[in-house]
This record gives sequence, C-alpha cells and structure tokens, in this order.
Amino acid sequence: MKDPFVLQVNDLHIHFTADGHSVPVVRGLSYTLATGRVLAVVGESGSGKTVHALSLLGLLPPAAHVEKGEILYKGKNLLTMPENQLRTIRGRKISMIFQDPSASLNPVLTIGEQLIETLRAHRPLPPKEARKEAVQLLEQVGITQADKRLDEYPFQFSGGMCQRVMIAMALALSPDILIADEPTTALDVTIQAQIIQLIKQLQGKNGMAVIFITHNLALASQVADEVLVMYGGLCMEQAPVDELFNHPKHPYTRGLLASLVSVDAERPDRLPAIGGTPPVAGECGCGCPFAPRCSYAEAKCSHQLPPLLAQVNHRVRCWPEELP
Amino acid sequence: MSVCVEIRQLYKTYTRRKWLLGATEKVPVLQDVSLSLWQNRVLGLVGESGCGKSTLCKVLLGIEEPTSGTVVVNGKNAVRVSREQRKGLCRDMQAVFQDPYASLDPRMTVRQLLSEPLDIHGLYKNKAERKKFLSELLSSVGLLEAYLDRYPHEFSGGQRQRICIARALALDPKILVADEPVSALDVSVQAQILNLFQDIKRERDLTMLFVTHDFAVARFLCDDIAVMYRGRIVESAPSEQLFARPLHPYTKSLLAAVPQVGKPLSKSVSADPGVHTGSVTGCAFAPRCPYATAACRQVIPILEQAAPEHACACIHVTKENV
Repeated sequence: MKDPFVLQVNDLHIHFTADGHSVPVVRGLSYTLATGRVLAVVGESGSGKTVHALSLLGLLPPAAHVEKGEILYKGKNLLTMPENQLRTIRGRKISMIFQDPSASLNPVLTIGEQLIETLRAHRPLPPKEARKEAVQLLEQVGITQADKRLDEYPFQFSGGMCQRVMIAMALALSPDILIADEPTTALDVTIQAQIIQLIKQLQGKNGMAVIFITHNLALASQVADEVLVMYGGLCMEQAPVDELFNHPKHPYTRGLLASLVSVDAERPDRLPAIGGTPPVAGECGCGCPFAPRCSYAEAKCSHQLPPLLAQVNHRVRCWPEELP
Repeated sequence: MSVCVEIRQLYKTYTRRKWLLGATEKVPVLQDVSLSLWQNRVLGLVGESGCGKSTLCKVLLGIEEPTSGTVVVNGKNAVRVSREQRKGLCRDMQAVFQDPYASLDPRMTVRQLLSEPLDIHGLYKNKAERKKFLSELLSSVGLLEAYLDRYPHEFSGGQRQRICIARALALDPKILVADEPVSALDVSVQAQILNLFQDIKRERDLTMLFVTHDFAVARFLCDDIAVMYRGRIVESAPSEQLFARPLHPYTKSLLAAVPQVGKPLSKSVSADPGVHTGSVTGCAFAPRCPYATAACRQVIPILEQAAPEHACACIHVTKENV
C-alpha cells in the first residue's frame, strides 16, 4: 500500500544555542501532510514557523540544531540521512521559495544561468536542452518573451517577476513538496493574488503538497486546505480551513481573527486587539505561552502546559474546557 | 475646515548611474503630486512599494528637497528653508517611521530619547516639570514611567513603536507624518498600535498623513484616502466614498485583491508588466489595465474631479460617466 502521507513530522524540537544557553524555538511540533494538500502554518515572527521549515530541508543555521524528533519524507527520516542522500532530496523532491525574491537570486548571474544551473545540478542535461527547458519553465509561470528574458539580470525584473522566477526554479524538478515561506510578503496585493493563483494552479496540475508559511490569516484562509497556528514554538490549534475559520477554539486564534481589519464590513471605532506582546523564545516558562495575554487564563494556565487535544480533526492546546 | 498642509505640483527626480562609470539617468519618483491635508483629518496615502509614498513623506519633512513644486505648512513655505525655519516647522510636524528597531538610537535611554526634542526646543527646563511631562507622555502611549531609564533593546517591537510615537508627540505637534508605522509589527500587536493612533488623533486634534500599503488599515484609520501609482496620485476621495465606489481601475484591482476571510481568492487581476523602471508613455497603469485603449498609451491622464470631493486620473472616468 502506498503511504498517503508524503511528509510526517513527529515531535520536532529545535533549539538555538546562544551564549552557552540552549533556547527552544520549536517545542514538539507534529503534523502530517498528504499528497496534493496545502497546509498553512500561521504565526508571528519568532513563533518558530520559518525555523521549522528550514529544518525540513536540513538548512538550519549553525546556531540551531534539532534536539529531538523525526521528519519522515515518504517514511525515510531526513534527520538521520547522510548529507549526500539528503542532497538528492533537497531541491529535487522538497524545494522552497523564500520571502524576499530579490535577495534569493544572485545579482551578477543572469536568470537563465541560475535556472539552468538548478536543472543541471540534478539532471544530466546537455546545455541546449537545459536552456529549452528553462524557457518552458518561465513560460509556465507566465513570463512572456521567455527566451529573451533568460539573458536578463535580476535587477531588470520587478519583485513579482523575480518571485515567479523563484517559483519556476523551485518547480523545475517537479518536487513532491513545495515550502513557500511568506512568498508574497514583499509584493503588493494584486501581484500577491497572481502568485498565489499560480502556486495553486501548478499544485493542482502536478499534485504536489505545499507548506504555506504566512502571518496573514486572511491569505491562509484563501489558500490552504488545513491551517496550523503556531505561537511560542508550539502548535496551538490545527484544523481543516473551514472548521478553523468557522469554529476557532483557541483564544489566540480567536483574538487574531477578531483583530483583522476588513475592507467590507462596518468600520469599527476600535479594534478588538490582543493585549501584551508575543513571548521571547526561551522566556515562555513552563505554562501556556499565551497565558499572559489570554482573557480566559486560569491559575493552572501559567504553570502547566496544556496538551494538544484532538476532537475528530480539530486539535487545540488549551486548558479552559468550556470556552464560551 | 482649513488646510494644514498644501502640496502643489511636486516633482522629485533621483539621478542614478546605470553602470559604475557610465552615463547617469533620471528616475522620476514623484510626478505632479498635489495633495491637501485638512485640519483634524487623517489622510491615508496608499500604494505599492516603490510608488513614491516614502519619498513624499521625506519631502514633506524636509529630509529630501523636491526637484520642483511647493509645500506650504500652516501658511509657511516648507521647501528650501533655513535651519532656523526648519526648526520652527519641526515643532508643528513630527514623524513616526516604519522600523522601530532602526529609528531609536540604541545607546540612548528612553529618557534621553524623549528629552532630546525638548532640549532642542528649550521646553520644560524645570526638572520637576520635565519629570511630570515625561511620565504623562509615556502613559499617554500606554507605557510605564519605570521604563524611562531603559534602553531600546529591552523593548519589543510594539513597545518601541510606542516610544517612537511618544517622541513624535513630545513637542505636541499639530501634524503627524506616519510612514507605514504598523507594517513591521507582529499581527497581534498591529491592532494595539492602530488603536493608539486612533486615540491620539482624537485626544490631540492631530492632522495626520498616514502612509500604508494596506487598504484595510487605511480604512480603519483614515478620513480621506489618496491612491498613488508610480509617482502619481491616481485617485483621491473621502474614505467611505472610495471604498463604496472606487473609480480608478487600479484602485478597483487593489481592493478586489485584498485577501479576506470568507472570500475566495481574487481572480480578475491585471497582469504585472514585469519591468520595474523604464519609461511608459501615457498612463503608467495602462500596461496592466483591463480597460486600456490606444488613447491611454498616448496621453498622461490628469487628476480631475469626477464626482463631488472625488478626483480620479483616468481618461475613461469623467464627470459625465460617473
């Protein structure tokens, strides 16, 4: 029987070492990702969402290490895999798009050189064919006059176009999993909509699974099949997209949803904001990291971490059982 | 209602060298920008990154000199003025910038940061008065007096932005220029800072220029909105009117693309032309505009009144067809 899950993350713990101290930034993350599904990981800066994504590719910065846990790609643990095997998976089977497209491209190489390099690093292609394929890839992401534009440099492309090139590069080898880390944050809303549509379209065509990392809940609601909300390195809530947005359970998710400003609804006089500030990694203590800002917090919340409990397919990490 | 700031036909061109030793080229950043800030109202300036929003703020604050055009603040000229005159203008007009990490000197305590503008302008020289003023100032932005002797690195992003706001308010200005003040903050903190702007605007009868790329933020806070595209104002109207009835195709496509919970992903978006710079003859938006005709590529549309209080720069939007 074929494994339905292309990726399985089990109890992932990631620590940063600073001044001899070990600081946990991801504290026990578990999820599964099925072929052809889009999982949105939503969280604020410092919630551990990007660090977790980097660990999937074995690209953690030198100061960070995986303390414990498993990352299973088609049943094989990426964390114990030797580097030469990992290299056949990274970029080829699992690829990533980063936040800032203009910072991810080499400014002194043409777009073509960079795309062709990616293709030839993984497949034995003669230069001419690689170029032909690069042209097709650019056309696939909606860049016109692709043959001519291959010889241009990144500075001749706009931000949206650079991100398209990054997508073309990430999709060059038809990966099984695409990790998109805030792919549209640096772009304006109309371009954002185009890029998201493009990812969705190619995802449908190639049946690839997508991990979509964002801080934008509204965007997550439009892109994802399933949403995972992170806070202080922990998964606070996870549910299918409709369930999460129609019946949010965790006070943090509810607070975030309430504080969204809308362009359609009645203009409020004040926004229902969540008080306080997000926790600093390593200063979360032993209780729920959201407790200091939570209006439902009980005595127990500040010294005992609630477990992530599942009801059917909706997982929530919260003590107060009868949230209104 | 009186006008606080009047910007007329402002042009700003940066010169850059294409290659290390090559010829220079001129990059027009602001083109024929005219705007009025009405007293006690918040004007939202909305546009994509690189459209000239921040340059407009810099010209208004005197950080950059315009290539041509006039800026009048409270009846006084604010372009090419002497240091003394600039100092006077600064009393009335203060700024809050995007990145609260970059806008506070890391080696100054909060007390020093907030006292600097007071020292420059010779205010609250009496020790007791100064102390009372600073603690009131801090509490008005939701911070504690105990924070006065701490350094910026001890604060979170939201708290730092509160310090920046307190510093801007220290001189009790009449005009506040806020350049993307919430976009660098965490989502859960943005709402707090937006509420704070709402409060100070009411309590202090402030006139504000609020620059943002986020329409939802603009709608919450702003009374009037001006939409900018590639250095030109393409539409301006009172906030409610603009959201109820956007006229310019660019504004329409922006509004349609704002992601919202419970709304499907926007489908009808105009294509990105792909190149960032380079001269376009006629309307700058024409290459992306679904309604563009041959005429659009020839004439540069002027910002004209299309409805009461509603101006739009599009040759297809006229008084007659609105």
